[in-house]
Amino acid sequence: MTKAQLIWLVIVVVGAVNYAARLSFIAFFARRDIPPLLAEALKHVPAAMLTAIVVPAVVFASPGTLDAGLSNPRVLAALVAGVIAWLWRNTLLTIGVGMAVLWLTRYLVG
Amino acid sequence: MLPAVVGMFPFGVVCGVGAVTAGASPLAALAMSLIMFSGAAQIIAAQLIAAGAPFAVIVLSCFVVSLRFLMYSAAMAPYLRPLDHRWRNLLAFLLTDQAFAASIHRLRASDDPRAGVSYFLGGGVVLWVMWQLATLAGIFLGSVIPPEWQLEFVVPLCFLALLAPLLRDRPTLVVIIVSAVSAVALDAMPMRLSMICAGLLGIFAGVVADRIGVSGD
Repeated sequence: MTKAQLIWLVIVVVGAVNYAARLSFIAFFARRDIPPLLAEALKHVPAAMLTAIVVPAVVFASPGTLDAGLSNPRVLAALVAGVIAWLWRNTLLTIGVGMAVLWLTRYLVG
Repeated sequence: MLPAVVGMFPFGVVCGVGAVTAGASPLAALAMSLIMFSGAAQIIAAQLIAAGAPFAVIVLSCFVVSLRFLMYSAAMAPYLRPLDHRWRNLLAFLLTDQAFAASIHRLRASDDPRAGVSYFLGGGVVLWVMWQLATLAGIFLGSVIPPEWQLEFVVPLCFLALLAPLLRDRPTLVVIIVSAVSAVALDAMPMRLSMICAGLLGIFAGVVADRIGVSGD
């Protein structure tokens, strides 16, 4: 198999797998009721998954290198941005303030 | 949904650059975004292709990062039930981190399910189109953004903006703490299994917190 063939095969197979995962329960629960315990658990999906995506992107300086202290500009930027988001629920403001804190810290610390 | 677009654009550029760097033709690089439509899976696929990994490893790794779609799908299911199956099949394709996180509040808060579904459809289409434009920018312009700007940090900030406002009750605080600690503690797991495991542990902790009445707003 050439590299080009491998890439196209990956695109088609992963595309199909992704679509199947996306459609899975939307199709499954279209005709069935969701069990109450599962519905209760699903309530927590956004908070749990967003945290699992965001936290490693902030606290790992490079893959495998944990730096969760305030000496890491990303941690400081994320904390400030998190407070802004919590108070005002404004995504553009959150991104703007977060990037400003990141750049300012890098500039000051050098 | 506009803020979500701001968040995903740099990510899309990175996917375009990554695919070309891995040896994909411009058409194949664009097809990754058109068909796979998942930044996390596209980045991992590009990295593994560049590293010469076997087909099975590439597909399995992409599958692991896409396991979260199962959860999103289940969480969206009740709101899409009243729709015709053709609409459900279309909307499922548009299910991404951004579209899910931005729409699920509206779907839960709104008395009129059609308003939430319209928002998801409109936002999902805009995100898909912008994802292609971002990928094209990455393919043909390369890393247009100087790396020292660290614009990739916009991606976690965008998710953080959706996450922080959820913190209005104690069970959610428990979910966030458990999920955060697990994501860091499990980081060494292969194939980024840590993300889905941390999410599941957070959800489990939230259900327990609900049950034992860690109440209060």
